[in-house]
Amino acid sequence: MHEEQFNAMRQSIVDGAPESARESANQALALGIAPLDAINKGFVAGLNSIGEQFNRGEVFLPDLVMAGEAMKAAVAVLEPEMQKCGTQREILGKVVLGTVKGDIHEIGKSLVSTLLTASGFQVFDLGVNVPIELFAEKARDLQADLVGVSALLTTTMQGQKSVVEALDRHGLRPKVKVIVGGAPVTRDWADKIGADGYGQDAMAAVAVAKSLLHK
Amino acid sequence: MNSVWARLTHEQCQRLHNASLEILERTGARLFNDEALALVCKAGAKVVEGNHVRFPARLVEQALSTAPKGVTLFDRNGRPVMPLEGNNSFFGPGSDCLNIVDHRTGERRRPVLQDVAEAIRVCDGLNEINFVMSMFLPSDVHQEIADRYQMEVMLHNTTKPIVLVTYETSGCVDAVEMAEAVAGGADALRERPFITCYINVTTGLLHNADALEKLLFLAGKGLPALYIPVVSGGTTGPITMAGGLALSNAGVLVGLVISQLKREGTPVIIPGFGGDALDMRTMVDPYCGPDPRGMAQSLAHFYQLPMFSLGGASESKLVDQQAGIEAALDMLIAAGSGGHIVHDCGYLESGLTGSLAQLAICNEVAGWIRHACRPVEISAETLALDLIDQVGPDGQFLKLPHTRRHMRERWYPTLIDRDTYTGWLAKGGKPLGERAAEQVSQILATHHCEPLSRTSAEAIRRVVLRAEAQSGSESPAPVSGGSYA
Repeated sequence: MHEEQFNAMRQSIVDGAPESARESANQALALGIAPLDAINKGFVAGLNSIGEQFNRGEVFLPDLVMAGEAMKAAVAVLEPEMQKCGTQREILGKVVLGTVKGDIHEIGKSLVSTLLTASGFQVFDLGVNVPIELFAEKARDLQADLVGVSALLTTTMQGQKSVVEALDRHGLRPKVKVIVGGAPVTRDWADKIGADGYGQDAMAAVAVAKSLLHK
Repeated sequence: MNSVWARLTHEQCQRLHNASLEILERTGARLFNDEALALVCKAGAKVVEGNHVRFPARLVEQALSTAPKGVTLFDRNGRPVMPLEGNNSFFGPGSDCLNIVDHRTGERRRPVLQDVAEAIRVCDGLNEINFVMSMFLPSDVHQEIADRYQMEVMLHNTTKPIVLVTYETSGCVDAVEMAEAVAGGADALRERPFITCYINVTTGLLHNADALEKLLFLAGKGLPALYIPVVSGGTTGPITMAGGLALSNAGVLVGLVISQLKREGTPVIIPGFGGDALDMRTMVDPYCGPDPRGMAQSLAHFYQLPMFSLGGASESKLVDQQAGIEAALDMLIAAGSGGHIVHDCGYLESGLTGSLAQLAICNEVAGWIRHACRPVEISAETLALDLIDQVGPDGQFLKLPHTRRHMRERWYPTLIDRDTYTGWLAKGGKPLGERAAEQVSQILATHHCEPLSRTSAEAIRRVVLRAEAQSGSESPAPVSGGSYA
């Protein structure tokens, strides 16, 4: 049933086309396809497929990012309908994300945000130049499972340590996990400051987030 | 491609040309073939004694005015793929290596026909390899007719143009017959040649019988011939680069004269290398010494004639850092100076040994060079000023359709590693040579050449069987994997 529609949904993600994704999501609703089915059998299948292609080096990062954007567009159409009928998409976890104070580098953090969202996490992106305390306050208020701290500079990397300490002060750890990333960040650094995880790129960040929350 | 390297000035080329003319007028050359002798004498060459003749300059100038300024090689399916003109460069392997470094084991051993079949299939599967040569001399077939087996295997395993090398004239005749069978007749092959034949001439002034016979045969057919007199500085020519090149070029001009007398307008491809010397310490013939690089390309461009250039060879005995350095530098200069058919990719040890892993590395280098030499498009689309303005100082370009539209225009490596340290380690932490060997295995496991038609396959088999009968030899065990019918 509706195989053609599911194919169109998959394809809109693989093509990284938010317009087509929105369109096929609306079409799914018009045809009476359950929103959850549309997500799982259609759009998520497309996301898995492009993720595999990325891992094989066949598609490039901008393709993957646009697939993520297309996914967001589809979910934006389907989510209100799910709420209406009392179902909801399985959320893998709540993530508070930002680039640490003193650092205005956005691209890497936004990639992680897009890919986490596309993979089924609920992401609260605090943006760039985020004060240390704000990470902790948002994590507490939103009952986050995970805090992601980005830094591109060796000087601002120190802020990642401060965020870990702030979360400790608020008594949020070890329940709230911390992942760190950014060009100068290494696994050694993550271990040294007591972070729970580190990913060398956006795809790795998604894998780390999944493994931390679903052991 | 854009030419970036002109080793000789126009005036220097003119002086070399005049020197070659003087050699031919003053010293003269020996032609070991009666038809060639008769042709040049009738046209005005003067006999010194026997087969030693002197050529007046006007004979050469006449030949230069009728030899085609460009020739296009086609693929097996009749598509034009190698326009040999301007600064177009095309890369491929060499022929007839006596040894192979097996990519599976690293062992240096005698090659067999299966190795030729695999080499050609790898060439067919490598994107930046544009033509093939036999690469190996198979040791498991009757040696007198090894060239027929090579030709059959090449025709079965690639659709790319073939530069063939044969021992005797009869081998050249048979190879052309095979190519004609595949092309659909002599006229079809002449109109859309997907083969050209390498003719090795003893020296600039000694034109051996086989070389002249092959040249006359190919000229008669109107098929492109590579006429390559070999001058080794310090032995068969002056040790100086200018003298060596003037002498080998004199031999090239002899070939041009004879070919144009036989059939005016027949295409001749001249050497895009020359001025080489033996290593005066060891008498080894180095394939990629720096000294003469780019000289012969300048001269061929001066004549505006298609050329057979050299690049991608190394003196190393194995696929190592030296092999990478020599191949890459040599290929870059060959292409940067506008060499057309650039052969000898994958050669090691003065052409005595061949390596498919090294060939794969050369393929990677060829792609790099193609991108480094390609013209740069400056246009509204590539300047993207409207986008720059839309994005402004705070935005980014990662999610723009423009990025996805153009990002694949850039070169991406298939062997060169650009990963992060952890990424590289995760893939096994291997050096280039190992990755190249794995790429070869991967191509052999997955790439298959478009098969020949049954009629063509049978026709070329008949030529091989006839050569076997004439030489009194027996067919070897067929090459496995459907390499030939």
